[in-house]
Amino acid sequence: MNENIDKNTLTIPIERSIQAELLLLLGQKASHGYELIQRLNDADFKNGEADTATVYRNLRRMDKDGLINSHWEVGESGPGRRLYQLTPQGEKSLKIWVQYISQQKAKLEIFLQAYSQYEESLFNEENGVHKP
Amino acid sequence: MSSLSKTLRIIHAGALQQVIRKCVKHFSSHNANLTFEATGVGSREGAKRLLSGENYDIIALADQALFAELLVPDLVKSYYIFAADQIVIGYSQLSKGSEEINQGNWFETLLDPQVTFARSDHHLDPCGYRTLMVWQLSESFYSRPGLYSKMESACIPYSLYPKSLDLASALVNGKVDYAFLYSSEAEQLGLPYITLPSKVNLSNPAHANFYDQAAVSVESKVPGKNIIIHGKPIEFAIGISKESQNLELAQSFVELLTGPDGNSILEECGLIPC
Repeated sequence: MNENIDKNTLTIPIERSIQAELLLLLGQKASHGYELIQRLNDADFKNGEADTATVYRNLRRMDKDGLINSHWEVGESGPGRRLYQLTPQGEKSLKIWVQYISQQKAKLEIFLQAYSQYEESLFNEENGVHKP
Repeated sequence: MSSLSKTLRIIHAGALQQVIRKCVKHFSSHNANLTFEATGVGSREGAKRLLSGENYDIIALADQALFAELLVPDLVKSYYIFAADQIVIGYSQLSKGSEEINQGNWFETLLDPQVTFARSDHHLDPCGYRTLMVWQLSESFYSRPGLYSKMESACIPYSLYPKSLDLASALVNGKVDYAFLYSSEAEQLGLPYITLPSKVNLSNPAHANFYDQAAVSVESKVPGKNIIIHGKPIEFAIGISKESQNLELAQSFVELLTGPDGNSILEECGLIPC
């Protein structure tokens, strides 16, 4: 994601927000893809269903970009699965995401505040109240 | 690497035919004088061939659960999950009702007496028992009691098509209107297909508990006895036979398939590398 972040304006394509979610989950605990998909869909912050192809595609991209790394983990009796974990570069990337999300949250709060004022003005107008 | 006059024997899911061909081509370019014998079968049949004493170096199956059920630990020590997929309904431009069929009405189209559809043999091929699971889950998902039985009755006898790749050929040759396949097979053959909701297409681990409600009886490794298997997200896996005389080469081949080059090949073939 680094190449898509302008550090001054912090504009990030919203479809890549799944990367922030995956980075956070991997920061909490190293996981393989199967488990990550389950954890992601169970997370309260997830909007809509995260499909298998999207999750694996983003994991491969982040692995290639050095935000996470992976190795094969072979269970005692179960199957071998690729285990993903966060790298120091991934931790930095997650912090940038948090900065971006905080900015977006502030903007949304300003929008809601402006709407609230607009709604109040409509109410006053309908009820004959005129304020300077 | 010493590979003079050696033959690597691979038994694989029919659905992996293109993947294995591409991997063999890639692997051969780095291993001169190595020959391959690749056999595509229904994965359940493939695992049973090992049980019956046939020798292969590498086993690549469409259902990772087959390793635990039939092969580990006696014939295979460890195995690796390398790809995911989903069940879809493939068709052709000539299929009856193809103008109207969609994700919400597919069962109505397929149950039209003028329409033919098929699935593979559930005793031999995971795509066969996964199709039965899709029908069971659809009964609940679409609130259509009795749908499973109706689909079973209307379907072309499963024994005609041992593995899902045979179904794909039947579609291409116009022998059936619709067939339940892996998405990757439809992609590889350029066939149009209907995707199903993720709660029934066995693609998403998020729905593992829901999939588990589906259960199918298949022939076990004990002749004459059946076992019940439950629905799971679709995962392909690969392992090396403990009897392999080419362990180093087999390991290199598995590393190719599970590494970056293998991932590219899997994506080209419409599978999701894991």
